[in-house]
Amino acid sequence: MASVKLENLWKRYGDVEAVMGINLGIADGEFMAFLGPSGCGKSSTMRMIAGLEDITAGSIYFDGERFNEVRPRDRKVAMAFETYALYPTLSVYENLAFPLRAAKWRQDQLDQRVREIAEIMWIVELLDRKPHELSSGQQQSVGLARALTREPAVFLLDEPISHLDTRQRIRMRAYLKSLHLKLEYTMIYVTHDQEEAMALADRVAVMNLGLINQVGTPDEIFNNPADTFVAGFIGEPPMNFLNCEFVQENDHGFLKYNGIMMDIPPQYQPLIQKAEIPKRVILAVRPFYIDIGLEKSTRHTIPAEVFIVESLGDISIVSVDVLETRLQIVTRPDFRAEAKQQIWLAIDPSRTVLFDAETEKAVSVPVQD
Amino acid sequence: MLELRSLTKKFDRTIAVNKLDLACKQNEFLVIFGPAGAGKSTTLRLIAGILKPDSGAVYFNGTNLKNVPPERRDMSMAFENYALYSHLSVYENLAFPLRAKKFKDQDIRTQVQEMAAILQISELLERRPGFLSGGQRQRVALGRTLIRDAAVYLLDEPISHLDAKLRNRMRGELKAVCAHKEATVVHVTHDYREAMALSDRMTVLNKGRIMQLGTPDDVFHRPANEFVAGFVGDPPMSFVDAEYIEQNEKPQFRLAQKDIHIPAHPKIRAYVKENGLPKSLKIGVRAKDITIASSQDDIHHVAVEVFVTEKMGYQNILIAHIGQTQIRAITPPKVAFNSKDTVWLNLNESNVHVFADGNAVLHPKREIKLGTNSF
Repeated sequence: MASVKLENLWKRYGDVEAVMGINLGIADGEFMAFLGPSGCGKSSTMRMIAGLEDITAGSIYFDGERFNEVRPRDRKVAMAFETYALYPTLSVYENLAFPLRAAKWRQDQLDQRVREIAEIMWIVELLDRKPHELSSGQQQSVGLARALTREPAVFLLDEPISHLDTRQRIRMRAYLKSLHLKLEYTMIYVTHDQEEAMALADRVAVMNLGLINQVGTPDEIFNNPADTFVAGFIGEPPMNFLNCEFVQENDHGFLKYNGIMMDIPPQYQPLIQKAEIPKRVILAVRPFYIDIGLEKSTRHTIPAEVFIVESLGDISIVSVDVLETRLQIVTRPDFRAEAKQQIWLAIDPSRTVLFDAETEKAVSVPVQD
Repeated sequence: MLELRSLTKKFDRTIAVNKLDLACKQNEFLVIFGPAGAGKSTTLRLIAGILKPDSGAVYFNGTNLKNVPPERRDMSMAFENYALYSHLSVYENLAFPLRAKKFKDQDIRTQVQEMAAILQISELLERRPGFLSGGQRQRVALGRTLIRDAAVYLLDEPISHLDAKLRNRMRGELKAVCAHKEATVVHVTHDYREAMALSDRMTVLNKGRIMQLGTPDDVFHRPANEFVAGFVGDPPMSFVDAEYIEQNEKPQFRLAQKDIHIPAHPKIRAYVKENGLPKSLKIGVRAKDITIASSQDDIHHVAVEVFVTEKMGYQNILIAHIGQTQIRAITPPKVAFNSKDTVWLNLNESNVHVFADGNAVLHPKREIKLGTNSF
């Protein structure tokens, strides 16, 4: 096992800047997810850690030792890909033994290791089978097991379960998490699926356009997104945005959206006197924290028009228009409303986040106990 | 009105569609939902007339369409492989069905721009399909299908190639566009959320047969069988094997993999009396319907060992084992248990489904939590 440190890491392919000077420390035994849309640089970063890509600039350290020049096979990394390419003519046992035979392990040690890893991965009963006799989920397990036989210092997984169907994916997700708890390997996981990253990782590095926008626990990136990209990428449906103007009257602060006035959320109140709230701000709120009223009330003060109601069994997603801004609200499954119906919204102020409309970065909140 | 009567289609020895009976209602949005290989696309092609059934027939307003060729069926279909005209711009692809109907240029322009705005492809109108991403091409294909008037729209996974965010937005737009049309829509998907969000009624298909036909609410809350119950919902419903016993004349379940007894609803006794003991008896429970306690109490009396907890930000998914069976339960974000902790679940008649030999015999009483979002 090992800790990994990326220092000002760059990757350039011709004119394309794939990774642009990222810094990240991954603790020994940590499960880190690289999350972002296609082209954000997450796979390039992983391939540099594996030694499969040259590093354009910057450094990679394993346990504090610079690894830039170390050959891939000497890095003690195991890498699992979306496609495993098991040897079709070999049994599961021989597939697992293959990397050990290549490394000239003694037969008795080899046998012990194969059985040990098969036990961990719950595939003991599959050892005599051929790959074509396995379900795709089982093939996936065997592929992961083969990557693990040589006790890697760092385990790299690049979208390893994205081609499985929903049910298998949900199963494998739990299984990978339990594997990490059991083995305590340092794991680095690349995915474009925010739900997968959140479910699995200790911390998530959210990437876009070759940069890391935020590193944090699932709770941090969900509740305190650093910028509008993270806020819009995490969560399903994602965070809602309202472009507002900050208005101050004496010590009182308001957010004004096209004539609709809202109080400034209490957690931002202390910033008013320090004049730290920008003139143009984006008010962001998750779909769970907007409440719908059929009548105007002291709480329900924001007028909106229903666009569509989607009933999904356990929840309903209500899309509404507040003037020209479309918002999505998650509410109880039996909520019914007609298109164009007038409704009134209440936004939970304690659950809102303000972004500077200029920089799209979060307005920092004074630390509270 | 569109109707399928005993529709059957074989490919070699595989029966792709097996004696399908289905009657759409007037102006209904009907979704055909099922796993890969269920026969969904084949059904759509049979309706369109691109494929000929081996037996059975498609009826429209009471007329057998057997001898009506596809182009005379007054149906508009979006294909999975888009089939755009590669030498024409996006604008001309969208305009094509309208030009064929001899619309005026001004009307064509208005309609094309309107459709492009809905599908968020306005800035692509001058491009050729070869310069578009898969998701963009799929939206052009959908636009070309919806832009013309037809009595029936046939949509085969029309938004499946869009990324998650865009797909969810397009889902709402598609529903709104179709709501304005006086037409039947038959939409094929393998995504249960899409099926539920869009449909007036949905039919769950497996191996060429209808497993259930009903409103999304029926299918989600009153699944007809184990297949439907396990296929609709995320996280999927958990199933626990059980045996039926009577103790002191009280109907009970004994969980097969643990010696735990839980009371059974009198309906189960009635079922057993009438049909005898089933070969397989399963208790099904949705993740949202389970509550968890850290110690045993009156309602939490099924002890399980925590496997892992997935922290999703807005909720946690607790995954536990009863023997070899995995059970999933949703907890608030602040409630997390460690692996190997023992926790107690409530599995009782008010929150479980019961399946005897695969078929539903009991659903939970639904107590809709009224009130509002919690803050």
